[in-house]
Amino acid sequence: MSNNGAAIAAPNLPDAGAIALAGISKSFPGQGGETLAVLDNISLSVRSHSIVALLGASGCGKSTLLNIIAGLVRPDRGEVSFGGIGSARFKAWRSISYMFQEDRLLPWRTTLANVEFSLEAGDMPRAERHTRARDALKLVGLDGFEDAFPHQLSGGMRSRVALARSLVTEPATLLMDEPFSKLDAQTRAQMHGELLRIHELKHMTIVFVTHDVEEAVILADEVVVLAPRPGRIREIAPIDCARPRDPTDATAIQAIQHLRALI
Amino acid sequence: MRQPQTTATHAPGVRIDLIAKRSALLVALVGIWWLLSLRYPHYVLPGPLRVWDALSLIIDNGDLWRNLTVTLKRVCIGFGLAAVVSVPLGIMLGAIRPLGEFFEPVLPVLNTVSSAIWAIFGIIWFSISEASIIFVVFMTAMPLIITNVWQGTRAVNADFIELAHTLRMPGWKVMTKIYLPTVMPYFFSGARLAFGFGWRVSLVAETIGASSGIGYRLRQAADLIQTDQVFAWTLTMVAMMVALESGVLKPLENHLFRWKKEAETP
Repeated sequence: MSNNGAAIAAPNLPDAGAIALAGISKSFPGQGGETLAVLDNISLSVRSHSIVALLGASGCGKSTLLNIIAGLVRPDRGEVSFGGIGSARFKAWRSISYMFQEDRLLPWRTTLANVEFSLEAGDMPRAERHTRARDALKLVGLDGFEDAFPHQLSGGMRSRVALARSLVTEPATLLMDEPFSKLDAQTRAQMHGELLRIHELKHMTIVFVTHDVEEAVILADEVVVLAPRPGRIREIAPIDCARPRDPTDATAIQAIQHLRALI
Repeated sequence: MRQPQTTATHAPGVRIDLIAKRSALLVALVGIWWLLSLRYPHYVLPGPLRVWDALSLIIDNGDLWRNLTVTLKRVCIGFGLAAVVSVPLGIMLGAIRPLGEFFEPVLPVLNTVSSAIWAIFGIIWFSISEASIIFVVFMTAMPLIITNVWQGTRAVNADFIELAHTLRMPGWKVMTKIYLPTVMPYFFSGARLAFGFGWRVSLVAETIGASSGIGYRLRQAADLIQTDQVFAWTLTMVAMMVALESGVLKPLENHLFRWKKEAETP
């Protein structure tokens, strides 16, 4: 039997966690017929396993940019690629998870069934969905609440369920659109801790949108500051503070002040 | 952390109070009926005892059970077919906009056609048979359920559709996993209406287009001026509807929509 090296080596899958944006522009039809430029010539590369924040004031097109990465909105010009594969040819969309600003839990489903929802797009057998969803709930610290309905949970717990639903597919990339902005300050800080702990375990690439400078500094390896109307990159600031980060720490305060001046 | 709460049940005192009120109402109604029956001949208004005798008679000779099951079977088949056809149709009409726009005028037209007309068509097309009664129930129930389910699709949360979209969920799964659960309460209110209508319509249809069933027996009793039997059949029907409502529909609804109950009562 010949030693087939290709069969033994890991399959040559593209790394969906390495994202590259090249010259992305987007405009929408505005009121009164004229077009409204939302994004202008955005080029950016996101390293695999890193955490990147898209930071900017409202109207800078950061959510649109996230939707373009997610393949939900088509850019007018430019291309998004994952592991070197352009989005037109990219197939592994289910390795990219999207977490919304609201938890969007289905009210008629239990916690466990809500988490399973992510796995129901494909054809995974029921038993495996069950086990995976249970594991994901355990990961976010919600074991024991499998049979609760969303209205029986607190805001922080609902947010954890939404996070579990995003993670249950074992995504290479997690995209988040201001996911914790509706939570109170204390719960938000808890969720930040949870997210970083899980990132340590799973190493998925995280790209998230925020207008909260402190949140960007606590979570991100790199903060992409966007300038509004039309949205363009003002600065890409690496955050070098040691983890776990404390927003009252001197270097963190410095980074926060620097970024505040930019937006 | 809030723990899952158990559903609040009525305090026993409130329950007993309710039972007392209902019994008083029943006694009062039967009493009035009895007093009135004393003033009229029995073929116009038979008294409670006479009706009870008639009821015992049709129970004893098996008439009641035989005709009740015949009618119930027809209504259930017609209603079941209508539900199976109408739920997917209603969802598709609501979810696929061009389809809905195209067929929009059809429903009001169907809803305006009287059930009596369907009964006549039923006899023309299927003659006096099971099929003609089932047809009438079907044609009455179908537009009602479609209309309600269609209306229910407007309550579908666009956020959930977007969520399914990010998961690359195929269209038919979006229908079964998001549209279907959302329209279920609407389906239920439509189905309740449709079942009630279907039941009444089947009786009318049976009086003109069948040789068995409660409707047929009602007409026979009326023709022979057995007013006490007409009363007995009527009581049977009322009892059956109450039993279906409190024994099947309500418990089923409570189970299906248990996620809703507490969410809506703050």
